[in-house]
Amino acid sequence: MRGRPNLYTDYNKESAIFSNNTQKSWFFIMVAFSFSLCFIASEYWIYLLTSSFLMSIAAWGLNIVSGFAGQINLAHGFFVGIGTYTSAVIGGLAGANVVGFELDMLIWLPVAGITAAIVGLIIAPITVRLKGLNLGLVTLALVFIGSHLFSNFKSLTGGAGLGRKVARLKLFGIDLENGYQIGNYFLEKNQILYLLSLTLCILCGLGIKNLVRSRAGRAYSAIRDGDIAAEAIGINIFRYKASAFALSSFFGGISGAMFFTVSGGVEPGTFNLLYSIVFVAIVVIGGAGTVLGPLFGAFFYTMFPAVIQLLLHVFEIGEQSLPLNLGQIERILFGLFIISFLIFEPRGLWGIWFRLRNYFKAWPFSY
Amino acid sequence: MTIFLQATVEGLSLAAIYSLVAIGFVLIYKSMDVLSFAQPALAVVGAGIISSLAVDRGIPFWLALILGIFLTGVLSLIIERTFLRPMVGEPVFSVAILTIGIDILLRTVLDSWIGINPRYLGDPFPSFGNFGAVNVGGVNLKFLELSALVTAILIIAILSVFFKRSKYGVAMRATSFDQEAALAQGINVGRIFGLAWFIAGILAAFAGFFITGGFNTLGQFSFLIALRALPAVVIGGLDSIPGAVVGSIIIGLTQGYVAYYQIPFENLIGFSLGSGFSLLAPYLIMFVILIFRPDGLFGTEEVERV
Repeated sequence: MRGRPNLYTDYNKESAIFSNNTQKSWFFIMVAFSFSLCFIASEYWIYLLTSSFLMSIAAWGLNIVSGFAGQINLAHGFFVGIGTYTSAVIGGLAGANVVGFELDMLIWLPVAGITAAIVGLIIAPITVRLKGLNLGLVTLALVFIGSHLFSNFKSLTGGAGLGRKVARLKLFGIDLENGYQIGNYFLEKNQILYLLSLTLCILCGLGIKNLVRSRAGRAYSAIRDGDIAAEAIGINIFRYKASAFALSSFFGGISGAMFFTVSGGVEPGTFNLLYSIVFVAIVVIGGAGTVLGPLFGAFFYTMFPAVIQLLLHVFEIGEQSLPLNLGQIERILFGLFIISFLIFEPRGLWGIWFRLRNYFKAWPFSY
Repeated sequence: MTIFLQATVEGLSLAAIYSLVAIGFVLIYKSMDVLSFAQPALAVVGAGIISSLAVDRGIPFWLALILGIFLTGVLSLIIERTFLRPMVGEPVFSVAILTIGIDILLRTVLDSWIGINPRYLGDPFPSFGNFGAVNVGGVNLKFLELSALVTAILIIAILSVFFKRSKYGVAMRATSFDQEAALAQGINVGRIFGLAWFIAGILAAFAGFFITGGFNTLGQFSFLIALRALPAVVIGGLDSIPGAVVGSIIIGLTQGYVAYYQIPFENLIGFSLGSGFSLLAPYLIMFVILIFRPDGLFGTEEVERV
């Protein structure tokens, strides 16, 4: 069916990862562009992009449980924290009062995800029974229980206010902490991190896309759209709600394991209520229940402070002349973005992109 | 025995504070089906307004208190009009997240005003002698705690009369019972929403004052105390005012007892529960109660239709 990109003759073609060649080629162009950015972008932008990639992995995780399966989860930051500390214990340096085993990344990365998933499964009997706001409130309790645990297990986390070093970047037995020499090109640590996070991000993104079109993905959306109806047509609610939580925590754990390697250390106070809300906000701003939404949201969330700084710089506004400091401006804008997206564009950035795309598809005809 | 009484008194005064915030939560939930996460922020903003009027502007404290509480109610009303009204009929989840956005806005502005040093509210309680407390048979009773108890009981009494007797109280009950039928009877439902938020704002401001008054001071983390009213609401059931009060008493007493008996208990069982466990206890209780009763102790069970 050449020249008829929207005509599908069978279900497999419609649910393919790339429904047409344009999408496929754009995907590869974007991937190639992202990889090349590693060598041209400045250190600051590499840092921002790395954070965005890792943030979007975590946001995708939350999107499984909140966007696809429709269960409120305000404790995603807690699962991210579990991933962080698992990886820190397995892959980190032992200190004066913290344990660490300095194992390979091949071990700590999957184990971080799996541990987080197991914790997600352990609380599943509670989370599956509840729905709606009550579920949100229980997960809220989880945030506080989590931060209490994180600040009190001092041998694992270093304790509140002190923190500990996170997992070391050691892949296939090669220590990448101080960069790596390939031929006569020297890869800095941040470039290595960038490449690793980008690869992970692409893998996770494809994984999510695949999940949506699988049996589990369809079960999730059935549960979101009406859980009693879903049960009536034979979907095992317990199994799928629990698996949604576990999968979501898995993504969170992986992201958490990588996220703090950028800065090298982590303090238990990081995983507070706001940290968990950030993920909810990313999903809401990006567009809940879509594959690309969390990616957009994560980029938006990581980039807008940089954009504000850029604007202040361009218009030569000194930080001293403002009534609020930069962090406060960011937080106010963050709050405003949450509110205005919910009121004006509930489908988030994805919705805006969707309308733009459709506008240009039909251009210059408006219908 | 003295320790037990002391813990009970402190627990009850906490319960009074929580019940003020909790009733606000329930009022908003009953009228609009919205869980407002902005309630704790409103409580501390109320305290901030009182402090700025009484300390920075030098207005007599009692006048500043009344003004501050009234202004918080108005602020709450404005929030409802601007942010919540467009969201009528949207999914509960979206609206809950929206109120989190409002919470971030309010608290950021407040935090930048508070600055680094905690703020005093300028109330006369500390100057009454003995750090604003009276000693009855070895039990230290703070005036602030006592007044919190008395105020909460008074407010609950006034509210129950208001809901039984007054025109608007009956209208509010009618609206929460059946919104469309209430509309058909000529009740201005929009005004009822506003009224619910106004009352909730006033209650939050009262709670905010009792949380931060005296030597407690208003800091950047004061809102966490008000946030602990959430477990109270959940335990009691989101749509029950008596439930909110009972939940608050459970939470407050637990917190009081845990604070005093944690160390003997730890010695008994042989391992540490960690510092600040009394602040975590409310959430743990909520966790346990929700496992057995997903709708809370007094909440009406939700009937679902496919």
